[in-house]
Amino acid sequence: MTTLEAKTATDTGRFQGWWSSHGWTAGVWVLMFVLIAWYAALIPKFGAFQVNSIVKNSLPLVMLAIGQAVIVIGGGIDLGIGAMMVLANSAAAVLMDGRPFGVTLVIAVGVVVALAVANGVVGWIISVSRVPDIVVTLATGFIYGGLALLILPGPGGSTSEGMRYIFTGSAGGVGSNFVPPVLVVTVVTVVVAWYLRRTRPGLSIYASGSDLNAAYLSGVNTHRTKIRSYAMGGGLAGLAGLAVLALTNVGDPRFAVGSAATLQSVAAIVIGGIALTGGVGSVVGVVAAAIIVFFLDLLLVAVGFDSNTAQVVQGALIVAVMMVGGLLEVRRRRLE
Amino acid sequence: MTALDTRPPEEAPETRRSLSEMFQRRPLLMMGAIWIVLILVTGLIQPNYLSFGGMRNMVLIAAPLGIMAGAQTILMLTGGIDLSVGMIATAAAYVAAFQANGTVAILVGLGVAAVIGFVNGVGVGVFKVNPLIMTLAMSAILVGTLTYLAQNVFRGSADPAGIITTIGAGSIFGNRLPWSAILWAAIAAGIIYMLRRTGFGRLLYASGDNPVAVRLSGVRLWQVHILAYTLAGVLAGIAGILLLGRLGAADLSLAANDLLPSVAAAVIGGTSIFGGVGTYSGTIMGALILSVIQSLLGFLQTGQAVQNIVYGAIVLGLAWLYARTTRGTGS
Repeated sequence: MTTLEAKTATDTGRFQGWWSSHGWTAGVWVLMFVLIAWYAALIPKFGAFQVNSIVKNSLPLVMLAIGQAVIVIGGGIDLGIGAMMVLANSAAAVLMDGRPFGVTLVIAVGVVVALAVANGVVGWIISVSRVPDIVVTLATGFIYGGLALLILPGPGGSTSEGMRYIFTGSAGGVGSNFVPPVLVVTVVTVVVAWYLRRTRPGLSIYASGSDLNAAYLSGVNTHRTKIRSYAMGGGLAGLAGLAVLALTNVGDPRFAVGSAATLQSVAAIVIGGIALTGGVGSVVGVVAAAIIVFFLDLLLVAVGFDSNTAQVVQGALIVAVMMVGGLLEVRRRRLE
Repeated sequence: MTALDTRPPEEAPETRRSLSEMFQRRPLLMMGAIWIVLILVTGLIQPNYLSFGGMRNMVLIAAPLGIMAGAQTILMLTGGIDLSVGMIATAAAYVAAFQANGTVAILVGLGVAAVIGFVNGVGVGVFKVNPLIMTLAMSAILVGTLTYLAQNVFRGSADPAGIITTIGAGSIFGNRLPWSAILWAAIAAGIIYMLRRTGFGRLLYASGDNPVAVRLSGVRLWQVHILAYTLAGVLAGIAGILLLGRLGAADLSLAANDLLPSVAAAVIGGTSIFGGVGTYSGTIMGALILSVIQSLLGFLQTGQAVQNIVYGAIVLGLAWLYARTTRGTGS
């Protein structure tokens, strides 16, 4: 794979080399802007308010998808990540209810760290037990979902105005100041992308996901790497839960919320160019893909579908994108 | 830990070693032992459970789950998975619930399930979509479609036809032998025969074990995949109709909670999620164990939250135990 890319790079110039490794990411970003432009043309007025609305509402999915991406790049998959988001949302809503901003900030950090540790333990279990990731995380998803219900039996709780400002750009959750949510997305994306591409422990996540044995034989501590990727996924799911709380100002422990979020996170990373086999893809593309997955609903409703049909079309589009990808892959293999 | 592993085997107590060796060679025996222990524990909490009525309840819970897990086993053997079994079962049950005639209802329900499975198979087999994505997306499509149908087409009462209620909840021989148990036994015999004795069954194993070798030996893998996913769809549909009969009404969350158990039953029973390894008899054992656990948690009256936590923990523990036992003590 890499030798092939290197060859094309020397043969037909730099652009093609760049295109073959970053083309998908660039394509997803272009697609996102095209869709937003289409939406802007459909509705009467498109301004800062709409930008704020798109960014803040897609924030939970973006965080969750980045978390899923880190885990999948490391060669795993987490089917309990949505339940983790629900747990973070419920726990934070109960703990933050009626507290001042400073206290809620400490709680927020605590929730993120606690989930990172908890999911690190999940990574440890996977690595030690050698039970497949899918099975372990389906089971831990049940545990997380149960814990959320235990902490918060029905919708309730709230958060401080300051927390709401950080994730939504306004104390009341509705406004047109899009700087804070954009800042949150940018900071998280840049930090995670930099960590994965530019640091030793981050690169070892790519290495173990791409070929576990080769990574192990070349001195990567694959056990610790697994724990690290799952812990990062847990922390990001925690951030997603906080973002949901900031958006809605309420904790919602329902199981279905979690499973829907898990599905969307997997859809987002696949559209974003992450291979489910591990070791391939960039979190930068995932951000745009997550916004597309969230935004598609909005767009389809704006075009005139009702929300159920929109869900059907969304699922069909995801399959269609994957089918095109699959066909291209088949054709590429035939040509070789 | 290492000191323990490098100890010469003679030092280990003779009986204990032979027992662990026996379990290692025949993990089904270990699962059977766990199953019996669980039944006895449940009997301690609720003495009524150790009766014909209790066993009948266990089978009524286990039959739809076991059939759904059969679909999962077949697909996991090929290296795939179906995360839409719950929604396929719901779709079949939902469509069947609104037909007045029992036979028509069953045929329509199974037809819908087969078509959905076929589409999954085309996506996975022809277009090479990852099974996880294909079936998750199919699940989302079905949720949307069914919600739409529930609001616009299927209105009014959803009383299933008499024959469906009989198959799902009725029994013969003085209320002792449930119809669903007979149906499950027949399906189980069919699946076991298919996996062991037919060319298609062997191809399922082979295509999960080494797809490249299978393709190079002239097999059209896409046909195997389409057939396997269609079959899985039909099995999920049968499970859905049994559930409909047992619960007496169709709603959109009919089989939503059976997805994890269907995967877990296959895994606990020794089917590898990477394909090529597993048996349906193991899956049956897994389904029986899970149905006892469900009853046990119900009797404890702990509420949904604790039930979910304990259930997840037990599934995880059993999968871990199975992996440990079969991996062997040396490595």
